[in-house]
Amino acid sequence: MNKKRKMIFSLVRGLTAILIALLVAALLIFVSANGDGIAEKLSQTGGAMKKLLLGPLLKNKGGISVKNISDVFAAMIPIIFTGLGTCVMFSANQFNLGTEGGVMLGAFVAALVAIYCPLPPVVLPVVAILLGAIAVGITMLIPAVLKARLGVSEMVNSLMLNYVIMYFIKYLLNSHLADKSKGQIMTYEIQPHAALPQLINNGSKLSWGFVVALIFVVLVALFMYRTRWGYAIRMIGINKDFAMYSGMKVGAIIILSQVIGGLLAGMGGGIEMLGRYNTFNWTGLPGYGWTGITVAILAGNNPLFVPLAAFFMSYLNKGCSLMSTYCGVPAQLIDILQAVIFVFFAAEQFLSGYRQKLVVKSTQEELSRIAEQEAAASKVEVK
Amino acid sequence: MLDLIFSPDFFFAVLRITAPILFATLGAVVGEKAGVSNIGLEGTMMISALFGSLVSYWTGSWAAGLLVAVLIGILTSLLMGFFAFILKTDIILTGIAVNMIGSGGTLFLVKVITNITEGTALASTTSLITTANQIPSWNIPIIKDIPILGEILSGHCILTYIAFLMVFLTWVLLYKTPLGLNIRSVGENPNAASSVGVSVLKIKYIAIAFSGAMAGFGGAFMSMYYAMGWSLDMVAGRGFIALAAQAMGAGEPVGSMISALIFGTAQALSIKVSSKGIDSNLVTPIPYIVTIIGLVIFAVIVRRRVKRQHSAAALKESAK
Repeated sequence: MNKKRKMIFSLVRGLTAILIALLVAALLIFVSANGDGIAEKLSQTGGAMKKLLLGPLLKNKGGISVKNISDVFAAMIPIIFTGLGTCVMFSANQFNLGTEGGVMLGAFVAALVAIYCPLPPVVLPVVAILLGAIAVGITMLIPAVLKARLGVSEMVNSLMLNYVIMYFIKYLLNSHLADKSKGQIMTYEIQPHAALPQLINNGSKLSWGFVVALIFVVLVALFMYRTRWGYAIRMIGINKDFAMYSGMKVGAIIILSQVIGGLLAGMGGGIEMLGRYNTFNWTGLPGYGWTGITVAILAGNNPLFVPLAAFFMSYLNKGCSLMSTYCGVPAQLIDILQAVIFVFFAAEQFLSGYRQKLVVKSTQEELSRIAEQEAAASKVEVK
Repeated sequence: MLDLIFSPDFFFAVLRITAPILFATLGAVVGEKAGVSNIGLEGTMMISALFGSLVSYWTGSWAAGLLVAVLIGILTSLLMGFFAFILKTDIILTGIAVNMIGSGGTLFLVKVITNITEGTALASTTSLITTANQIPSWNIPIIKDIPILGEILSGHCILTYIAFLMVFLTWVLLYKTPLGLNIRSVGENPNAASSVGVSVLKIKYIAIAFSGAMAGFGGAFMSMYYAMGWSLDMVAGRGFIALAAQAMGAGEPVGSMISALIFGTAQALSIKVSSKGIDSNLVTPIPYIVTIIGLVIFAVIVRRRVKRQHSAAALKESAK
């Protein structure tokens, strides 16, 4: 199959998956609608679907809503990072699901540095975010080294680590670091000069972290496709045994991929913290890790497609929350939508019949072209 | 302190806490034997727990709730199987998707369903399960009168007994029936199994349906006995711990039961300790830490054994 056909196929496949997910959503909204008759329910479903699909673009009274759009961009920041981290780890076939806890730990460490370290402006947020990232990178050594040296499943270990990280942070927060003068459990406020500057000051919290995220998309893409290590990571994912026999240090690469995943997740957490909050008050895992996995799957583990996938998920999420505000459909619909899109995107055999047709078509064209050339050649000979 | 912890009611608690983990573990054992890594156990338990509690509330019968919970577990797993075996989605990714639905998706469902049937959207079903539709407990006739032993073994939820009975039944299924032989052969070498006429696809479906049924039992136990109602993320990683228990038990029913008991003990211990006034955030993660440590110890032991076997074989070779 030529490149163009391949692209058409992935496009059709992706759109079909999204269409199926939206159909499922419409069905669920229809069932949950309050109306009496079918007509009323249908009109409610239509209204809710419109809110879901167009809400993030439009104001309530019509016209483009800059606030909603900047909200969507702001929400992309952490999931770009977790998406990138997951891309790197999944490329090496390492099913490390620890980005969820990684984001929380990164945010926590960054917040602590931002509160307590007496550093000058500019240096402080950079140090805070880097330390957050490094803390998570080191934590990821646990599942990574255990996998590389002992063959223990990195998946189970990283899942367990998520819980351990969450309770550890909650313990420190509750009993040592909480600002006792506040009604809720939260740390003291971060120093004002630790906060990341905002791109737009409209309350969306679209910080310069967005630009940093996009820079990291390029960096990770360069790393994965233009360096030896990136090549090794991808090669291990494709065929571990081959990589080993061709002299790659499989264990070291396995560790490297997970540490990089951890660094990225931690950085995402730190940037989210300093860009959006002025005190650490998370009481549970944020969910960015799971969304990051969806983003990586939608992007086909290609870092360059991560922003697009993150935009899509963030847009849907905003649509769902608007829909729950204005149409009374619970916002958790996003989790079901996400799962449906996710499985169809990851399904290798989904629409395989259509792909088969495209392959056959390409081959036939190729054959007829060869036949023509041969015919032309024989004519020349006869002359 | 020690005698406070090692009292009959502590061991009673261990068995009670182990039961849901054990169900999920047996699901993982049979799945893994057929080469199906079902990491969706966690989400399946959540979904089953929700529907079990709702149905038991509507019908007023715990048996109906339990039945529906198991059926929903089987259905969810078959759906997973369809995506994994037919559409060739990676089984691990399919499991992650089920877990996504099990977390936020169930909250969506509970809000929608209760809004339709009760007129008000509830965020949990804890108000719906009362002692009237709770899964009943059973006092074992003679054993309940033995001092200590009776206190530990008698008076459990009937599902707790079923869970431990299932360990034996799973062993029988795997090692004493033709189906079990097929399951194991499909897991070990699907091509060889298929060459002697075993339908690999069918066996894989059966295995994943079995693990779904077990997750259904576990979910019903959670929402209709243990926690008296469904609430968000109530399964709290038990499905994942089950995967670890399976790995630590070397994939065998009895060994996995022992590792499930270790996790149950760790959890019972953490509950005991936190009742002594220590911050619960410090002790709640104990089972998760024990899981990591347990996996490491298991891996080290296996490595050693393999090494020893290799060197023994090498010695024999050289003796010839």
